[in-house]
Amino acid sequence: MTTTLIDTASHQAGFENKLLMPAWAEVVKITPEAEGVTTFALRFTDPEVQKRYRWEPGQFNMLYVPGYGEAAISMSSDVSSSNGLVIHTIRQAASVTKATNRLRPGDVVGLRGPFGSSWPLEAIRGMDVVIACGGIGLPPLRGALYAIMREREKYGKVTLLYGARTPKDLMYPDEYETWNKAGIEVQATVDRGDETWTGRVGVVPMLFYHFRVDPHKTAVLTCGPEIMMRFVIYEALARRIPASQIYVSLERNMRCGQGFCGHCQMGPYFICKDGPVFPFNRLGPFFNVEEY
Amino acid sequence: MNPIDEVTQELQKIPWFQELKPEHLRQFAEISFLRHYKAGEVFFHEGDKQDYFYIVLSGRVALDLFIPHRGKIRFYTCEQWDNFGWSSVTPVVRTRTAGAVGVVDGIVIATDTDKLQALCDRDHDIGYLFMRRMVNVIASRLLVTRLQLLDMFAEPTETKTDE
Repeated sequence: MTTTLIDTASHQAGFENKLLMPAWAEVVKITPEAEGVTTFALRFTDPEVQKRYRWEPGQFNMLYVPGYGEAAISMSSDVSSSNGLVIHTIRQAASVTKATNRLRPGDVVGLRGPFGSSWPLEAIRGMDVVIACGGIGLPPLRGALYAIMREREKYGKVTLLYGARTPKDLMYPDEYETWNKAGIEVQATVDRGDETWTGRVGVVPMLFYHFRVDPHKTAVLTCGPEIMMRFVIYEALARRIPASQIYVSLERNMRCGQGFCGHCQMGPYFICKDGPVFPFNRLGPFFNVEEY
Repeated sequence: MNPIDEVTQELQKIPWFQELKPEHLRQFAEISFLRHYKAGEVFFHEGDKQDYFYIVLSGRVALDLFIPHRGKIRFYTCEQWDNFGWSSVTPVVRTRTAGAVGVVDGIVIATDTDKLQALCDRDHDIGYLFMRRMVNVIASRLLVTRLQLLDMFAEPTETKTDE
């Protein structure tokens, strides 16, 4: 893949023309990650759908909780080592995602997808990679992290900058050591810590102060609260990293997932179809504009 | 190596000190000393009298505030070449507005605040450079504080993503 934009239709391996109809998936495992954040491992009930389902890191599914509705949720696992399971890490924030609290193993949800563009893992080969994310922005990048680790020699220096509100809100903390050993430098920070926290306290954009970048061979992948991404972008641009090498994953009110309904329109783009991953040079004029 | 030369050598490694002339570096070093600290070692408490301004050479130092019923909350950590205790060089703030404690063993350069102020008053070249650096520090702290105040990780509104 040389661009972040993907022809959605070609990625509907398991769904053919049923993009508006969810396929049923059973909840196989539920793992609490942090307060209000849970990971669900799902398996399609139709073995044919399960067999043909393919996705790329950064894409999302529309997850349907019967009786509540749909929510756009990114895949959060390694593409190739999740035993065919679809893994979603969900923050229980609004009615649909809060309803996932009621799910138990054996329950069934609907999935439509995968939708949208993915992280440009082929295009950034050979480059240093800075992955800057905060809070629930790490799950959409976790698949990219594992993909990079699998082909670690194809990338330069890889640094993960990750922030959360408090130490107990950091996600996947048990995996950081594995990531470090695999050649990913993990730099975590929290907004505030108690007396037992010996790690960093501060915000993600400020983590740029702790290392040097070679702007021409550095790519930035960022996902998280939009205010955080805005300042990550400022820091990256201040270090002369070209906007075309800064990739942003946006979150909007996705509904149809195919650019039909217009709910997630941002300027000329539909976030669900043209995004959610964009190179910043395409997004720049419409980013941080109040109406959008 | 004598202590002043040792401090001078460390100061030369700090990017923003590289703009200083050798005599200015020497003057700064003369009012400073290297302090080795351990994790858990307290530099100062909130309310203490201001005495030193610090530059971190290695390790990590946390700034904290005591909040009744919540204990000490760490709101910022300083690492290599970051500064703390900078409000001691302002004319108004005369007591510490936060506490500072080492969280990872390391070394700091401690500079006598009264002597630093006198040096800046006496030699405006070094004063200008130092204060310009202070503006950078204050601006970045303001940004961090602003982002922390905004509580970036607060739950989104109901309509944002999944309604």
